[in-house]
Amino acid sequence: MRVADLSLPLSLAALVAVPFVFGDFTAYQIGLFLLYGSVAQGVALCWGRVGILPLGQALFFGLGAYLGGGALIRFEHSSILLYPALLGAVLAPATVAGAIGILVFRRNVGSGPYFSLITLALSMLAYQVALGADWLTGGYMGLNGIPPLPGTDPWSTLYWVILGALVLSTGVLLWITRSPLGQLLHAVSQNEDRLSFLGFDIARLKALAFAVSAALAGMAGALYAAQQGIVTPQVLAYVLSGELLIWTAVGGRASLIGPAAGAVLIGMLTSNLRDRFQYWEILLALLFLAIVLFAPTGLAGLIAPLLKRLPKRVHAMRDVERPLPDRGDMPMLSFEEVRVTIGSVRILQGLTLELKKRGLHCLIGPNGAGKTSAFNALMGRLSVSGGRITWGGRDITGLPAHKVARLGIARKLQVPAIFHDMTVGVHLDIALWSGGISARELLSQRSFRYRNEILGVLKEMFPFLNDEEKRAGDLSLGHRQVLEFALSVIARPEVVLLDEPCAGLSTQETANLTAAIRKIAGRFDISALIIEHDFSVVEELSDHIFVLHQGQTLSEGTLEAIRADHKVQAVYTGGTK
Amino acid sequence: MERRDFLKASLIAGISTALPRQVFAQSDTLKLGFLFPKSGPAAIFGPSSETCIKLGVSQINAAGGILGRQIEAFTGDAGGAPSDTVQAAQRMWRSNGIVALIGQHDSASRAAVIGSIHGQIPYIFTALSEGGFCQPGLYALGETPQQQLGPVIPYLAKAKGASKWYLVGNDYDWPRKSNDIAKPMIKASGGKIVGEEYLPFNVNNFDTTLSKIRDSGADAVFITLVGSASVGFNRAYASFGLDKQALRLGTLIEENTLAGIGAENSKNLFSSVGYFDALDTPGALAFRAPYYKTFGKDAPVLNTASEGLYEGLLFVKAVFGKAGSTDPKAFAAAAEGATYEGPRGQVTMKGRFVNSNVYLATAEGAAFKIIESFQNVDPGTVCTN
Amino acid sequence: MDASLFFLLNMGYGVLTLALVALGLAVIFGLLGVMNMAHGEFIAMGAYSAYAAQSAGLPLFVSLPAAALVTGAVGWLIEATVVRHLYKRPFDTLLATWGISILLREGIKLAFGVDYKSVVEPVSGSTGVLGIDYPNYRIAVMAALLVCFFLLFLWYRKSHASARVRAMIANPELAAIVGINTKRLASLAFVIGAASAGIAGAMLAPLVQIEPYMGINYLLQSFFVLVVGGLGSFHGLFIGSGVIGGVASTASAAFGGTGGYVTLLLISILFLWLKPEGLYAGR
Repeated sequence: MRVADLSLPLSLAALVAVPFVFGDFTAYQIGLFLLYGSVAQGVALCWGRVGILPLGQALFFGLGAYLGGGALIRFEHSSILLYPALLGAVLAPATVAGAIGILVFRRNVGSGPYFSLITLALSMLAYQVALGADWLTGGYMGLNGIPPLPGTDPWSTLYWVILGALVLSTGVLLWITRSPLGQLLHAVSQNEDRLSFLGFDIARLKALAFAVSAALAGMAGALYAAQQGIVTPQVLAYVLSGELLIWTAVGGRASLIGPAAGAVLIGMLTSNLRDRFQYWEILLALLFLAIVLFAPTGLAGLIAPLLKRLPKRVHAMRDVERPLPDRGDMPMLSFEEVRVTIGSVRILQGLTLELKKRGLHCLIGPNGAGKTSAFNALMGRLSVSGGRITWGGRDITGLPAHKVARLGIARKLQVPAIFHDMTVGVHLDIALWSGGISARELLSQRSFRYRNEILGVLKEMFPFLNDEEKRAGDLSLGHRQVLEFALSVIARPEVVLLDEPCAGLSTQETANLTAAIRKIAGRFDISALIIEHDFSVVEELSDHIFVLHQGQTLSEGTLEAIRADHKVQAVYTGGTK
Repeated sequence: MERRDFLKASLIAGISTALPRQVFAQSDTLKLGFLFPKSGPAAIFGPSSETCIKLGVSQINAAGGILGRQIEAFTGDAGGAPSDTVQAAQRMWRSNGIVALIGQHDSASRAAVIGSIHGQIPYIFTALSEGGFCQPGLYALGETPQQQLGPVIPYLAKAKGASKWYLVGNDYDWPRKSNDIAKPMIKASGGKIVGEEYLPFNVNNFDTTLSKIRDSGADAVFITLVGSASVGFNRAYASFGLDKQALRLGTLIEENTLAGIGAENSKNLFSSVGYFDALDTPGALAFRAPYYKTFGKDAPVLNTASEGLYEGLLFVKAVFGKAGSTDPKAFAAAAEGATYEGPRGQVTMKGRFVNSNVYLATAEGAAFKIIESFQNVDPGTVCTN
Repeated sequence: MDASLFFLLNMGYGVLTLALVALGLAVIFGLLGVMNMAHGEFIAMGAYSAYAAQSAGLPLFVSLPAAALVTGAVGWLIEATVVRHLYKRPFDTLLATWGISILLREGIKLAFGVDYKSVVEPVSGSTGVLGIDYPNYRIAVMAALLVCFFLLFLWYRKSHASARVRAMIANPELAAIVGINTKRLASLAFVIGAASAGIAGAMLAPLVQIEPYMGINYLLQSFFVLVVGGLGSFHGLFIGSGVIGGVASTASAAFGGTGGYVTLLLISILFLWLKPEGLYAGR
């Protein structure tokens, strides 16, 4: 997300000028849309940054409005209780959102539409509750006669409070998006699998972003109650949720103030057109369609190319050494009679293999033997129907990917999984953090200055890694393979699973990467389990080989032993299949 | 960099030309604001509301206006959320400088608007409602359940033998309060309640309710459904042949709803409101004839909701005239006892609610036929504050 | 006995019409993965086509193919101009179709006005069915739907086209390589989905309220059905309709109208959370 350095203070100046130039009533109207705008900023955080689309954000806005309105009514004359209660109007929606996020994302529904539909359905449910629970929400007539925020007048001075809230929300979002946490959130939208293989809990990251967006919505809702003096069930309705989407899309879902600008722009236009022009809804719908089709990054995205003339943000100097984790004996990785069945296809039929010693182990076998499936089962990506997988004696069958990664088992995928829109430098950062990072470090700019020994060696062997500003999606396939390999080893895992690391590489690139694997694994005591078809690579990288066939271990041993094994020969020369 | 700033600046300049400045010019015109649904589910009343307002304004202006000044009418959309209605009202007041607000919309918007205007200008609410509200500065011209049911329930009990009543409405204030008012009236007429149900707004399958009505043995159904739910319910009701079992009485079944219900589904259907397009009293015809002459035969059909706005103008003219000024306090004093002759007949204000005539009609084919009229009916609410 | 038979007939009507309403969305969402937010508006267009046919003096059964034609044509246009470009962007198809739904609704307002329209039942009155009187038109609709669904089910099982469609869902790239014209098939699927919705609207027109905002409820109901039943198969469609229709009837009988609706929402949320692939994942 490009942060438009000047657009922020400029927008602030324009908004400050509004009451003086256009009068209090216009300021009041714009104030309302600024409130909606901060909700839209939260929507953009989820949608543009993390890649989850909340279709029912009005739920949190409405919750904040009812709680805020209730607090203002209840504690009108008691500031000691009022302000904590108003804070509650911000924290309650955040808590609810966090809970929803954890519950939904833990079930691994991925980035499908289900999260979106659940949020929509929940907001519709809340609307019905608000409509029906007269005793709680005032029902259809709503919460009436809400007194203004003490010391403010909704028609004039409250505007400054609203502006302050917008500055706060923008500031918080700015801080988050620039922090290591912000990079992780962005990486979620780029490639969830890659991030979870680095040990990061995707569900928690998504839930966190969702909770932040809900906090912003709650704050806006509470101020809405103070401004309007009345809260009716429509604050929870899907119509508002829909409008939020329009404002976010038009303003720019990947932008910080874009959504707020979208809300003000569309809101003011609507407000003024709806009485003069009968078909303003058609105009709005056409504009919305045009944006979705032709300018998915919204108006902010249209303005952004003008920013290319600004100097690019240079990655911070890496001057903070991160020590490597200690190395003891390798815990034993063991597959015990593992069965994996999908539908009626038996992929693994009692796979048994043990990784006891440090070193380079190869996993070979004909196509369909179950090699990648073994990796997937280990990382919790495929459900195991029989047998178990243990690590250092501990049963890890079915453990989710990020937890397996945290145990020290890294993985590199066959088709290089990287974060396309992010720079090489950020990739290396994320890899450095994957060994373990505290909450404080997540929010500190210092975390961008890390380096470690392994990174140093990798940069020596592969100079392209020094070009940290390069967008990873622009790298050649060979460089991407290397980058992903780097990601998987930087934090010194116990064992790294490499799935055809040299796939698609030229002879020279293959030789380079093979040498790198050997060198890094040897020097830093990292074991490797490598799936390979290319026998020249196998020759280079095999202290020990497992041969898989039809979901079971056919044979194992050194390369010579394997070569001499009749069973293996039969399988490879097309004998029994 | 500079180009971006320029873009932003021109964007702001562009928007600002669309923004109204705060203006309180003391000009010659008398500015009135009107609120009615132009969007959303209640927008069916939009077109007829526009035309009724236009007719009223042009007639009054042709006769010299109010307090010697020509009326300038501003309109706002009350079809969205109450907060949107408040925006529209506030804009007309603060930016356009209206001296009175005349509105036809739902109760939630009414509560929101009066809550924000606080009586600083008179607010004349013309739609039918549940009554019982007494905020200062709020004047109610519309029918109340006491008016629509008070004389009608005994009439139906006597003339049609209605004795076992089933109550069905949408799930919000107006139906619930209407039923609360209806129940003692039903009992007093010798009848009893055999069922009471509230449905959400967005339902289009009424089979369960209709089964219950059928099983209850009801011979009269009091309907407080609104909008398209009323249409759907009545269509399905007739398709099950329930019109042979029980009569239907509605307090918000007007011409548009009847058109949606369809002639073949409207047998044994009664509607009780203050005004019908088919009303042919001299006062009603004096309103109707110019309306269709001005806007043509295919003009948006007249109904109680839009007619109410026309009466709102008559009322405002009468009261401003009596008060001699546009001061809200003078208005409040003059409103008490104010009276005018409108399409409904004679209307007199007492305690910010009005005594007025109510008509009972039955559906005949695609139109209403008035079968009974009740004069000068008490609204049941008299505000004393 | 009488009351329960009535209840059963109503439930049967409810389930069949739910399946009819959801069919169009099942085709489009199930086959193309497009969350067509304009689905309700296609149904509305079908209903208004019936009204237009009636105004032109044509009998109702002419309005069925007319509705299919109109909505199919609009569907084709939408797929060709908008949806086709967005297949890889599922959220954007949701947004785009939602924008389109607004346009379609405004179009209906422009063409027909905002007031309620009424379509007369082609067959009125009622017939004795096992001792109770049930409306004729409803009986006709239920009978027609039973026949049509049965035929559709057979076609889906047997024909080449359906095999191609299933191939396309399973592996679009491979299907294209094998020579299946995926572009044309996608367009056809969208058109069929739209046309089914149009027919649904035309069939239901005499029985329901007709106004520009009528589509939203049908969209909601269709989503409930698909979430519970699962996508991509007829089994799912009917299981979903059965569950939703059954729950709706019993819950609203027990808890009143609002309670019934809330129950449906809760069930949908539970399914979306715990069993998002629905009861019958035909895929």
